Formats: sequence, C-alpha cells, structure tokens
Amino acid sequence: MDDWQRFLIAMDKSETSRRAVRYVGNMARGLATKHIHLLHVYPEPPPDFYIKGGQLDRYQMLKDERAGLFLQDASIILEGMGINGRDISQQICMAEGKTISQTVLDIRKEGEFGTVVTGKRGVSKAEEFLFGSISNALARHARDFTAWIVG
Amino acid sequence: MIDLSYFPLRILPRLKDHPAVRSLRRQPRIWRDTSDFSSIDYGDIILVDNRWFLVVGYMREGRFGIDEQPKQWVPKVNDLETGESNILKLVFHETYSIKFGDLTVTCYRNPEKEARVLELVRGNPAFMQGYSALDDADNLVRILDVVQGKRMDKYLQRLGESHEEYFRDHLVGVLQRFLVSVQAIAYLHGHGLKHGDIRRDHIFVDWDSGHFSWIDFDYDFYLPERPYAMDLFGLGNCLLYIVGRRNFRGQDVLEDPELGEKVFSSLRMEDMSLLARDRVFNLQKIYPYIPERLNDILMHFSVGTSVIYDTVDEFHDELADCIASL
Repeated sequence: MDDWQRFLIAMDKSETSRRAVRYVGNMARGLATKHIHLLHVYPEPPPDFYIKGGQLDRYQMLKDERAGLFLQDASIILEGMGINGRDISQQICMAEGKTISQTVLDIRKEGEFGTVVTGKRGVSKAEEFLFGSISNALARHARDFTAWIVG
Repeated sequence: MIDLSYFPLRILPRLKDHPAVRSLRRQPRIWRDTSDFSSIDYGDIILVDNRWFLVVGYMREGRFGIDEQPKQWVPKVNDLETGESNILKLVFHETYSIKFGDLTVTCYRNPEKEARVLELVRGNPAFMQGYSALDDADNLVRILDVVQGKRMDKYLQRLGESHEEYFRDHLVGVLQRFLVSVQAIAYLHGHGLKHGDIRRDHIFVDWDSGHFSWIDFDYDFYLPERPYAMDLFGLGNCLLYIVGRRNFRGQDVLEDPELGEKVFSSLRMEDMSLLARDRVFNLQKIYPYIPERLNDILMHFSVGTSVIYDTVDEFHDELADCIASL
C-alpha cells in the first residue's frame, strides 16, 4: 500500500473536480507531511484528425494551455486553504494508446500515490456503457491505494 | 471497335472474353489512382499492386429495412491474370453519427485500421481475408478474398421450423461457433484494434465448414475511455439475434398472435436494450424456456442491468460457462 498522504487528484475543469480539490485541501491541511499532485489527462485526437489537416503538437498545445488554467486555479484554491505551494505539483498529459483511467492508474503507480481522488459526474448507465466513467474505473481498480470519489 | 492492344498480353485472354468488356461501347479505362472512385465504372480496370482488376459490379449494403445501395467504393472485381474474384475497398473517408436517444457516437471510415486488422488476422478463419496496397496516389486499397458463405442472420432462419425446435436442436451449436467469433474480437482488442461494425449480417457462415467469419473492419469510433464499447454493444445484439432468431420491438410482441397483449403488458423498461430502447432484451418473457443463465447475459445489455461488461473477455467467459451448462 502506497503512502496515503501522497494525493493524486485526477481532474478536469468541472465543478465536481473543484469540489474534489477543496475536499483534499480540507483533509490534507492538518497533515505534517503531504503531497498533492494535480493531474489532467486528455484523450488522443479523433481518427479523422490528421486527414483534416490536424497537427498533434498544436492539439497538445491547446489542451495543455486550457488544462494549465484550471490546474493553476486548483493550486490557488489549495494554497488558499493553507497548503504550501511546495507540496503541490501539476501534470498534464495525453492518454497515448490507452484509456484516460488507465493513464491515471499508471501515473499513480509510478508516483506511488496512496490516495487517488476524482470528482463524480453522475452518468447514466447508457453513458457509462458508451463513454465510460473515470470514477467508476478508478474505484474498480483500487488496489494498493485508496480511491476517494467526490460527488 | 475496342482496341485492347495496349494491355499486357498476360491479361488479354480474360479481358477480351469477359462479358463486362464485350458489352462495352468504349475503351476500358485504367485507374491507377482511385481517389475519384465514383467515376470508376463497370468494365473499367483498377491497376494496383501490379494486378489488373476488372470491375464487374459493386457490393451493396443497407441498414436493416432500408433499400440496399451500391457502394461505389467497394467494387467487385476479377483479377484478369488469375481469374480470381475479389472485392476491392477504396478509400472513402466518411463520417457520420449514431444516435442512442440523446447520446451521440461519431463513426468514421478508417482504411488504415482495416488494413491493420487484415494484417493481424491473416490466416485466421474467424475473419475475412485480404491485404492492402497503395495505388499510385497513395490511397490504401484493400484487396479482399470473397467470403464463401452466407450471412449468419439468413443462415439461422433455415435452422428448425419453430423457435422451440431451433432452440432445442441448433442453438448450442450456433452458440459454440459464435463463441469462437467472440474470442476473435477479444483477440483484436488485445492488439489494440476494434472491429468497428459488429452486426448480425457482418458474420458469414462458411458454406463448407459452417464456421463463422467476421467481415468489414473499416469503421472506427471515437470513444477514448471505452474504445471497445461499440464492439461490445454489437456482440450483445448478435447474441440477442442468435438466441431469439429475430429481434422483437414492443410492437412486434403486441402484433404476434402467439404473444400479444399478455406478453406485451409484462414488458418493463428494464427489459429493453440499454442503448436502443425499442428492442426487447429480456427474451425469457417471450420464450420462457430460455435458461436463466443465458438470459442473464442478455440482461447485461438491458436498461435493468446494474453491471455492464467492461471487456469482451468478460462477456466471452460468461458465455463459455453458460454454453457448457446448456
């Protein structure tokens, strides 16, 4: 079991993600040692992206720019709650050849994060069947770590 | 008078004798670049991979209940050197949306993906065979063998008189063969590839051996978190058709004299397809002799399910256990 005080927050720009950030802030601020890693994973471009003249570096740049804004916002929220900036890190990456949830799980393992936190969108069964649910996938694969799902 | 003197000698005997050429009132055109596939006509020749393919027709396909339309990007051809019949698939980058209620899935034709599948499954009888080659404009042309068989849905109609007879005498054998097809899809997924268009008419039953073969791999979807969801959905629909030997909408149940109002009024929303809400998945309500275990697998694709299949492997394993128990 990895160190539970190493938190990985898998997030997007949604309000539930911000709630997850505030929840972790509340839980972590009293801890003597802690680390909070803010992560955004985005998908590869669609199959017709290149045929339409798309360029991967521009796609990634755009995604990185957008995610950078809400990750920065999340850092500000955490610092406002008394978390030292040195205990916060950020990462943005593309899920290359795998799903977003698998990418999150791989980063969790590499970084030995003992607690993974994500917001729950509340999707229907049909949506979950087609588009999946990151929170459900993380909960299902929670082994050697703890998953917190914030609704 | 048609002048065939500019064609290579090795193809001349078949070229001049072929009805598609004999009926022509113009010179056959040679297409080395297939970009403008809609201009390629009956009696024309497509030259790719140093093979001379005479266009003798077009494949047709329709969604169920819709008139079949010729697919101009899928000509039926004869190899003028060997006499072999083939099907060519030319590059056609079509995109369209499939709607499931208020959910939309974008679908793409992806020639590169089909080429990769063909390469992966070479020699595997669970799949249509073929290979790909570039034409002079670098279009990825897929050169396919003709599948010697019959569409599975039509094949099933000839097994047994009544559904009960089909169920008793034929279903297990059909399911065993379908299980091999499911395993074949899991094999694709294991290599990061999807079929893309799993439907009951995309399984062909070999005339001689009766084994099932998948055809048509050029569709692709953009479902980053559940890349194989549409394949799973297709497999569920195929299983539904195999078990029921037809599909039932609520209205079909109502109009069927053997089912009628009594069965119709027993149907709940939970009995219907998770994605296509007018399709009955709880077949036990229609055919009470369908075993619980088999019906339970179908119900994983229904509105009433609390657990959805995550992978085709899970579906395969449950189906294998179920077949063993039948």
